[in-house]
Amino acid sequence: MANELRFLVVDDFSTMRRIVRNLLKESGYTEADEAEDGVVALQKLRNSNFDFVVSDINMPNMNGFQLLMEIKKDEKLKHIPVLMVTAEARKEDIVMAAQQGAAGYIVKPFTKATLEDKVSLILTKLGLK
Amino acid sequence: MQSNNPTPAHGGGASPDVHQSIGILTRQLHNALNGLGLTDKVRDLAGEIPDAKSRLSYIARLTGEAAEKVLNRVDLAKAQHDHIAAETRRIGALIVKDPVAAVAKGHVMNFITDVDVSTKQIDQHLTEIMMAQDFHDLTGQVIAKVVNLAASIEEQLVQLLIQTAPHDAIVKAPVVAPHIDHQLILSGPVVNPEGNPDVVTGQSEVDDLLASLGF
Repeated sequence: MANELRFLVVDDFSTMRRIVRNLLKESGYTEADEAEDGVVALQKLRNSNFDFVVSDINMPNMNGFQLLMEIKKDEKLKHIPVLMVTAEARKEDIVMAAQQGAAGYIVKPFTKATLEDKVSLILTKLGLK
Repeated sequence: MQSNNPTPAHGGGASPDVHQSIGILTRQLHNALNGLGLTDKVRDLAGEIPDAKSRLSYIARLTGEAAEKVLNRVDLAKAQHDHIAAETRRIGALIVKDPVAAVAKGHVMNFITDVDVSTKQIDQHLTEIMMAQDFHDLTGQVIAKVVNLAASIEEQLVQLLIQTAPHDAIVKAPVVAPHIDHQLILSGPVVNPEGNPDVVTGQSEVDDLLASLGF
């Protein structure tokens, strides 16, 4: 089941998108697409089916908080868990992300184990694993 | 604004006249800046320079650490790769010499186990080398902030020059629209987390914070 899940990795840095995709692949999640900001991510989410979003916060055009809000107010998308992976380390940002409905929060730099643990925890909570 | 007519210094030594002239100039500049309301701006800009220095030091540290990490992991991976290559040659020679004995004495099985362990460790090294590239994202965000700061300082200095220039020397400068970058709205990587109670210093603090709030 978990292996069939489709991920969307959102980050304005292509290096980070590649790292996250590779880590997901190493963890057995081979289905993943990428978006360079919230606008592109939202388009992809609305035009295709995704089960999980891994998103940065600090991005041009539409940042991660705005993307999270758009996802959570969209009836068709709000069920999708959003894991924030970001360099934003202010406590108020972490609390805000949680209040807005983020499923998890990872601060950069992070380890492979951290990403694996958080994804697994979220999927378990949602009964997807 | 007052015109400046300092008394020229005579001779090579620093005469009291020169000191007096510098003092007058300094006072006039101070008054001019005050009159134009620019002292606060200059003070703000000066205050941001140490922050820029911290950010540049952060970039130097992160890139240095990443390079070190990659080279260390490459060394380890190469050592394991060399070990596998040597073992392959050794087991090959044993099989050529006496294939039955090579299997019966467990040389082949030991080799297979060895390869399995080594390839897993090499894979871990490769993952760490990949993870080390995250410095690109973190330093990229910090560089963007420093570039914005430099642009802001340049803009303010140009304004300062224009506003303090003699009337007959004023040339129209191009109007520069204030550059607002999204990176400035969010704080980005924390360059100096020590002693700052408003930020977390690692993932365990994030987890503790969210747990304390019931998330």
